[in-house]
Amino acid sequence: MAQRRPSYLRVFLTFARNSLVRDTMFRTNFLLQCISSAGWTLMNVGFYLIVFQHTPLIGPESGWGKYEFFVFLATTWLINSLVQTFFMTNADDYSELIRTGNLDFVLLKPIDTQFLVSFQKMDWSSLSTFTAGVILLVVALWQLTTRPVHPLSISPWMVGLYLFYLCCGVAIFYSLMISLASTSIWLGRNQTLYDFWFYITNFARYPMEIYNRGWGVPLWGFFTFVVPVLVVVNVPARLLAQPLHPQRSLSWQLACFALLATIVSLLASRWVFQRALLSYRSASS
Amino acid sequence: MYRGDFALGTLMRFLPIVTQIFLWWAIFDTIGHGTRDSANIVGYSFSNMVAYYLLTMVSRAFSSMPGLASGIALQIRSGEIKKYLIQPIGMLEFLLLSRLAHKLAYYSVAVLPFLLVFSICRGYFVDGWPAWDLLAGYVAALLMSFLLGFFLEASIGLIGFWFLEVSSLLFIYMLFNFFLSGHMFPLDMLPAPWDRLVSMLPLKYLAYYPAAIFLGKVPREELIGELWIEAGWVVFFIVTARVAYRLGVRRYSGYGG
Amino acid sequence: MATIEIEKLSKSYWVYQKQEGLRASLRGLFRREYREVRAVREVDLTVEQGEFVAFLGPNGAGKTTTLKLLSGVISPSSGTARVMGHVPWQRENAYRRRFALVMGQKNQLWWDLPAQESFRLHQQIYRVDGQRFQQTLDELTRLLGVTNLLHQPVRELSLGERMKMELIAALLHSPDVLFLDEPTIGLDVVAQHAIQQFLKYYQQKRRITILLTSHYMKDVSALCKRVVIIADGRLHYDGSLSGIVDRFSGHKVVTLHLAEGQAFEQLARFGTLLEIEPPKAKLRVARRQVPSVMAALLSAYTVDDVAVEDPPLEDVIAEVFSRVDDVAVDHDVRQAVFP
Repeated sequence: MAQRRPSYLRVFLTFARNSLVRDTMFRTNFLLQCISSAGWTLMNVGFYLIVFQHTPLIGPESGWGKYEFFVFLATTWLINSLVQTFFMTNADDYSELIRTGNLDFVLLKPIDTQFLVSFQKMDWSSLSTFTAGVILLVVALWQLTTRPVHPLSISPWMVGLYLFYLCCGVAIFYSLMISLASTSIWLGRNQTLYDFWFYITNFARYPMEIYNRGWGVPLWGFFTFVVPVLVVVNVPARLLAQPLHPQRSLSWQLACFALLATIVSLLASRWVFQRALLSYRSASS
Repeated sequence: MYRGDFALGTLMRFLPIVTQIFLWWAIFDTIGHGTRDSANIVGYSFSNMVAYYLLTMVSRAFSSMPGLASGIALQIRSGEIKKYLIQPIGMLEFLLLSRLAHKLAYYSVAVLPFLLVFSICRGYFVDGWPAWDLLAGYVAALLMSFLLGFFLEASIGLIGFWFLEVSSLLFIYMLFNFFLSGHMFPLDMLPAPWDRLVSMLPLKYLAYYPAAIFLGKVPREELIGELWIEAGWVVFFIVTARVAYRLGVRRYSGYGG
Repeated sequence: MATIEIEKLSKSYWVYQKQEGLRASLRGLFRREYREVRAVREVDLTVEQGEFVAFLGPNGAGKTTTLKLLSGVISPSSGTARVMGHVPWQRENAYRRRFALVMGQKNQLWWDLPAQESFRLHQQIYRVDGQRFQQTLDELTRLLGVTNLLHQPVRELSLGERMKMELIAALLHSPDVLFLDEPTIGLDVVAQHAIQQFLKYYQQKRRITILLTSHYMKDVSALCKRVVIIADGRLHYDGSLSGIVDRFSGHKVVTLHLAEGQAFEQLARFGTLLEIEPPKAKLRVARRQVPSVMAALLSAYTVDDVAVEDPPLEDVIAEVFSRVDDVAVDHDVRQAVFP
């Protein structure tokens, strides 16, 4: 009789392995993802190269010059690709499990339901975007650290913090995603849910400063403090690309807030998840 | 029956534009050293930019065909194509009419949120309505973009007669379309030699071109010529689609259904 | 303490009643009518360790709902249940490790991967020791005859083979209690038979407690001594299979072989004619009247052979189910204002 708690790490590794086996069975899809990632990144970089032909900065005195912005862009890709790799398929599947009643099988397993639901499948092909992000990041940092005027200097401390806040960003996005997916227990499966996710995270694509003007200020406030998507990319990117920015103290305050936001988001999403499960009605046979 | 969440859904479609607008706001602010309205990029002022994005929404209302190519490919794969062979009306005509009907129905309802957004953003259309001849050109371009969008995507879907994985092709097409049709940014911004290359593609008519006419970016001398070229592209794709259909059906029947 | 103790278990759903017609749909935006469906009503049941109990009942009777309640998948509206001392809907990991649920026509194995990979995942989740896992797996695949199918993707297997794999997956962690919800539905006779034989053998050897729901009499008569009839959410009978006939059937079937040259028309006097295939005839006769009818028949006709039998079990049970429907069913119709 099995008495011990499951090793979550081992289970996760098995999930990863199974997903990899499965993904390699669909080779054309894999290849397609890589091609489209490459295309997407090239076009985005192309667009911003054009933009920076016309302006030295995005946002007056924001510190977001060309290569700083590329660091920001790369960070967006890193975070988004991680969310897509680990969580997007699972959130989608979760709505489907609820609809078909197959969530029953998940509830039978002696393992935390949220863990099972969130990590079941991995989309390895999204790692192509991750790779693109890494490449862009390296190129941009290289440019920043070797420029003649005010070259950026990177300490291991900064890199560590960057990676840490990268994970925080992924955690915040995950919390939002799983909360939205959980609502399908009450609302049924909904395409609008998926669109909703896209629209909200769209705001995180750009540096926070651009919203801080005119009628954008309430948006800035809402997406920083209520649904903290703005801190997701901004905090790690700033830490890496603009450590000596004049508004440094503000940056550190923001970083602390980001940590708080991560913890609160994770707890809130867990609460939503558990609460939704209580209302689960299964499907009729 | 007018449903609340339908209206909300249509309004939400404008949301991605909001982030773009903020981006440009910040950029123009930088260029204009604090006053965004004094700056311009390739002849576009900030207001022009906002107007441009709103107009591309209108162009895309005409030219985007969600599900057309994948629907055709699916019907080919599942064998539903057969039903068109015995009906008096051809598949392309049938789909065209149903698409037209769908768009009319959809936008007759969606016109309200559109009007709402446009009236709120009235101030960005600093040049007001274009002159009569430009307006006529605008409408012509819109109507042609509908036909162009339809037959172009139909042609892609018809590739399903020869290749199974049309959805992969479609995905890549959508990706390139996003950039090359002007959906992401005004094509005037492209540097040489890219601007000439992209200009030769038919994709610009799907989003960029009508908006450019409306905003007066197309000089009058070129207008008629360009419209004829667009018409040429429309005819080209009508022919392509029909030929592809005929060839495909012949090949299909060769398998004995 | 019994393995399964259920007391006054009830489960009700509120189901939104969809109305037909445009006006009703419009009204539906503001006022919604809900209907209460009492899926399980005050069920009492005790099952001891090692028993093999069948749940019989028509569709919608509440069999599957009861199993889901006992699995902790859903929680009840009222009442209590304890399985091996645990309350199922608290979903304790300690409980979940000790039982298994198999649902017919529902698949929990990864579709694109070989069953072997899903089993490995099971092993990790249930933390089954490596050697034990291999032993159990070998034994189960051997018994079910699917050893050479382990490395084929699940989607390529036939329905019967898939069901066998599901059973293996359920038993890999050696549960003490097994819930089976229509495990043989949709399978061909050969597969059904194989699974029945397997379950019989396994249960006898391991002495685990099994609850089985089924439509098929063959499943029930082959495997279970104890039968519970559930209809309309309520327990109607709890006892042996043969006892059902005694309890619910008021009739016997008399089969006559008449000697040559006799007229059959008059037979209807003696009972309800079920079948006439000269020289054979079947009559349905009320139990109490059998002796007198027999005497009358034997004197009125020259009979080559006669048999008095119980009606087929299926007929009796079908009759029980249909009789239940006639009982006035109370559904509350509630009006709730939306939202």
